[in-house]
Amino acid sequence: MTALTLSGVTKAFGSTQVLRGVDLHVPARTLTAVLGPSGCGKTTLLRLVAGFDDPDSGTIALGGETVAGAGRPRPPQHRRVGYVPQEGALFPHLSVAANVGFGLPRKQRSAARVAELLELVGLSPALAGRHPHELSGGQQQRVALARALAPRPSIVLLDEPFSSLDAGLRESTRRAVADALVAAETTAVLVTHDQAEALSLADQVAVMRHGRLVQLAAPETVYGSPSDAGVAGFVGEAVLLPASVCDGHATCELGALAVRGAVAGSISGPARILLRPEQLVLSAAGSGGVEARVRDVSYYGHDASVRLELIPGGTEVLARVAGHDRPRPGSLVCLSVVGEALAYPGDAAPAEVILAPTPG
Amino acid sequence: MRWRGTTVAAVVGAAVLSLAAGCGLGSGSKTELVVYNAQHEDLVAAMLKGFAKDTGIDVTLRNGSDFELANQIVQEGSASPADVFLTENSPAMTLVSDKGLFAPLDEDTMAQVPAAYVSSKKDWIGFAARSTVLAYNTQSVPKSQLPASIMDLADPRWKGQVGIAPSGADFQAIVSAVVAVEGQSKAQAWLRGLESNAKIYRNNVAILSAVNAGEVGTGIIYHYYWYQDQAESGANSKNVQLEFFGHQDPGAFLSTSGAGVLKSSKHAEDAQKLVNYLTGKQGQQALVDSKALEYPLGNGVAANPTLKPLAELDPPKVDIGSLNGPQVVSMMQQAGLL
Amino acid sequence: MVAVTAAPADAAAPVGHRRGPRPPALPVLAGIAVAALTLLPLAFVAYEAVQTGWAEASRLIFRQRTADLLWNTVRLTAGAVALSLVLGVAAAWLVERSDLPGRRVWTVLLVAPLAVPSFVNAFGWISIAPGLDGYTGAVTITTLSYFPLVFLPATAALRGLDPGLEESAYSLGLGRLAGFVRVVLPQLRPALLGGALLVSLHLLSEFGALALLRYPTFTTAIYDQFQSSFNSSAATMLAGVLVLLCLALLLADLGLRGRSRYARLGGGAPRPVTRAPLGPARWPVLAGLVALVVLALGVPIGSIVRWLLAGSSTGVDTHRLLQAAGTSLSLGAVAAVVTVVLAIPAAWLAVRHRGRVSALLEGSTYISSALPGIVVALALVTISIRAATPLYQTAPLLIAGYAILFIPRAVVTARAALAQAPPVLDSVARSLGEGTIGTLRRVTLPLIAPGLGAGAALVFLAVVTELTATLLLSPLGTRTLATEFWNQSSSLAYGAAAPYAALLVALSAPATYLLTRQTRRGTA
Repeated sequence: MTALTLSGVTKAFGSTQVLRGVDLHVPARTLTAVLGPSGCGKTTLLRLVAGFDDPDSGTIALGGETVAGAGRPRPPQHRRVGYVPQEGALFPHLSVAANVGFGLPRKQRSAARVAELLELVGLSPALAGRHPHELSGGQQQRVALARALAPRPSIVLLDEPFSSLDAGLRESTRRAVADALVAAETTAVLVTHDQAEALSLADQVAVMRHGRLVQLAAPETVYGSPSDAGVAGFVGEAVLLPASVCDGHATCELGALAVRGAVAGSISGPARILLRPEQLVLSAAGSGGVEARVRDVSYYGHDASVRLELIPGGTEVLARVAGHDRPRPGSLVCLSVVGEALAYPGDAAPAEVILAPTPG
Repeated sequence: MRWRGTTVAAVVGAAVLSLAAGCGLGSGSKTELVVYNAQHEDLVAAMLKGFAKDTGIDVTLRNGSDFELANQIVQEGSASPADVFLTENSPAMTLVSDKGLFAPLDEDTMAQVPAAYVSSKKDWIGFAARSTVLAYNTQSVPKSQLPASIMDLADPRWKGQVGIAPSGADFQAIVSAVVAVEGQSKAQAWLRGLESNAKIYRNNVAILSAVNAGEVGTGIIYHYYWYQDQAESGANSKNVQLEFFGHQDPGAFLSTSGAGVLKSSKHAEDAQKLVNYLTGKQGQQALVDSKALEYPLGNGVAANPTLKPLAELDPPKVDIGSLNGPQVVSMMQQAGLL
Repeated sequence: MVAVTAAPADAAAPVGHRRGPRPPALPVLAGIAVAALTLLPLAFVAYEAVQTGWAEASRLIFRQRTADLLWNTVRLTAGAVALSLVLGVAAAWLVERSDLPGRRVWTVLLVAPLAVPSFVNAFGWISIAPGLDGYTGAVTITTLSYFPLVFLPATAALRGLDPGLEESAYSLGLGRLAGFVRVVLPQLRPALLGGALLVSLHLLSEFGALALLRYPTFTTAIYDQFQSSFNSSAATMLAGVLVLLCLALLLADLGLRGRSRYARLGGGAPRPVTRAPLGPARWPVLAGLVALVVLALGVPIGSIVRWLLAGSSTGVDTHRLLQAAGTSLSLGAVAAVVTVVLAIPAAWLAVRHRGRVSALLEGSTYISSALPGIVVALALVTISIRAATPLYQTAPLLIAGYAILFIPRAVVTARAALAQAPPVLDSVARSLGEGTIGTLRRVTLPLIAPGLGAGAALVFLAVVTELTATLLLSPLGTRTLATEFWNQSSSLAYGAAAPYAALLVALSAPATYLLTRQTRRGTA
């Protein structure tokens, strides 16, 4: 059963059209990440689901019941939707225990229930007596989640919950939140612009761009078979090259490559092909493959990013290698491709390397 | 801090309660008269003490200054809660009388004071009087140098030596007498001279104190301020003597404190009783016995023996009902005193 | 009448505030109604000026008396502002940048003069030294009353400055004094301009002290006119000139300051400052400071004590004292509640729906904060006489006067209070099942109550010590502490006036404490 269904939801603010017809199905007890750049409308989407605003057209259904779009929309207090905002937004005048118990009927606000919820999010029940300003950012986010989970909502909405945290806290907090959601068996929708977050936490990823959902699929699918070049570049680093596709094979500067994917089958002739940097393998010069010169190497410890210039033509490509295996800048290497490439329509587009955003 | 919110709430509650209490929770079955009083509060309270006892009528005094109250009565018109209006000087009475807001007085009331102290329209009556005087510092101003007339004070030789309180109704009444006696153009010239000569004070008390301290050589005030201070401790008047101009000079102007019954009064009869009492033997004797040291006007009532006798004052003859307040203000504005 | 709002402060738009729906109608309408109320005195003066006609107006305005008053006002303001700036900056530097001993104590003592209402200060001086009237007395006494208004922002600004700038200057060879003048002073400009504006506006609306000191300015002249001829155009025309002066000050302030505000406290802990050693200069400096505190604080308080002790001769009417205290307190409480409620729409719009409407409302608040009490009172009296006679001489009219005078400071605190309850908290509360009322009760009100309470306290205490407007507006027979004090001290009954003065100082002290806390935190 779907816990949340949006059909054809549109929303405009003044003359700006923010959502242009969004269809989204979120199965129960799963975590869906809505991934997109700033301004793509994902926060608006969340607010519509929570009920803080109403869609201009389309319907929103929670657990099979339509809450917006048919007659009077149900107000937020009756939707049983948990909401965790970007800054956590704990009530500063209440203690942790009072925050967590806020949505519970008075009789249920027991120390035991509060302790249970705090443990669910990986916090010690000893924190119950503290006040929000005495907690770290990560702890505040976890308390915010505990507060949202307390009244056993049908769905929990998280609006970029980790973006205000220091990088060090982010990973541990993410894991704690994900574990808590699984343990509570709650459906969750998480909005983020961080692709690493989306890919690592979610059961399904909804990629949004300019108010529309451009792909809704499992993380591997979104990464491995992005529906277009834009999605491809958004969810990971990409190397895009012009090529000529014929019969399941693409001919490009890196040689003849196998092409896959549902998209590929229908393409013939000029196209763009997508390769992930980890698909480019370096070997010593002269060992076969395309020749390239190493422009520079960015060392990240566990791996390294190598920018290469193909010898004939000068096209720039990006490769990922293990940290200990990195070449020296300026040296000559040979490139070969592992695995299949993805092909997209786009004949006149030049070669492009899309770098990842700051690692999350 | 949550206590602040509670404190505010508590204070508000207390405020509402006290305002409600203060608003006066109805009067008893006794009649209550509202008197708008511009005379000194203690004097009127002393004079009316016997009235409340004798007649059982409650009197509420609303105190203010001459023109403040006169203008309010004019504004309130027929809706005024005032039953009786008492002033310190007469121009304020003229203001109200000119608007026809006074009721005619009882005959027997008017018989209680000399005819000169009843307004020509027979709608208000004087119940106390005060004489204009020149207070001077005995050490800095020898008696021989004193001016013969108040008009001389506009002479350049008195520069910086005259203290006046132009914003007060007292001085404005004196100016109105100068206008009545000397005519408008002479009065205007006098005012202009005063403007360059005078030191400005807020009231007569301040003038007396300043003359005493030697800050200014002379001051135009009313007599009773000096007498009152002398009776108390003399602290503000030991270096001061009074010069009575006499000779019907404007500087000998006797200012009349007036009493009138408002036409709009709902207790006309009782109000007339009050005015009658004020000008009758009992009220006037209460005035004499009080610390006020103003002159009584009632027939057959002698003033306090320490005062210079009323018969010796020789004030100028002015029609008390003709002293014009607004005209004086306008003239003083022109002269730069206001 | 403290313009606690500086230039229209543009606090940064709250994070995450989308270009959302237009502000709801109710607060906008309420805000506009309140703004109209606060601008009523200004509108009245302008209307009267037009009604009087150019001929009559020029006759009333362009005369020697007005010139005298103008000269008096201008030279008093210039003198007092200059002195206050010198004293305020010097004291601030000593406390913040030198190794003056007992700095904490000095800070309190140098702010404490604000707890003595200026007319009480004048009373304190004139009752023991009657010769202190005229220009010298007026400048000295008003400076002693108001220099803390420069001292406070100067210390706050110095505290927030990055000492690195000064240190670079010294390392480049500038001496202490040169470094101060060329590097520090320019950064203090916004704070000093703000302080100078406050002092000037206080001086323009000062009545009680200047009347006691026999120094005629526009306010005393307007009051005299009003007493004599009441409903006259003369008083209104003088008021018009006074209003123009105030607006000119505002314009000058805006022009000189532009959009800068106090030097803000930067994020993170500021580096500790190396303080200048005073060395042997310490003793004369300490002596100077002691003298300043004695003059500003010791004299008025000592004078009150002296008259209290001597006052047995003039006799203290306890019943009257209590009655006046009760009236003052109840008026203060009612006015506080009314004013804070009226301030909420503008504050709410400023915090939740920044835009043209909220900017307009802030602007009107800024302008009305500059209007002197006597102008407000005069306007209300005349308007009520002409157009709303049932209101004339009633307590509601007096409360309205107080509200108009003190809404600006209520708006400042209401804004700070509302900022404690960002809209996201409302959203969260609703997602947790609370309706509108429940959210208000459990989330919004508890969060904003302390701030609103502080605003109410500030207004309460300002009303309790207000003199000028109360003299004109209070219904006959209403006695407040300030008006009773005024009556007694006008008749030179100093002993009788002393208890009222003592109570006024006692009631001002908490307000001063609140005000200093607010300014220290740099809340704008």
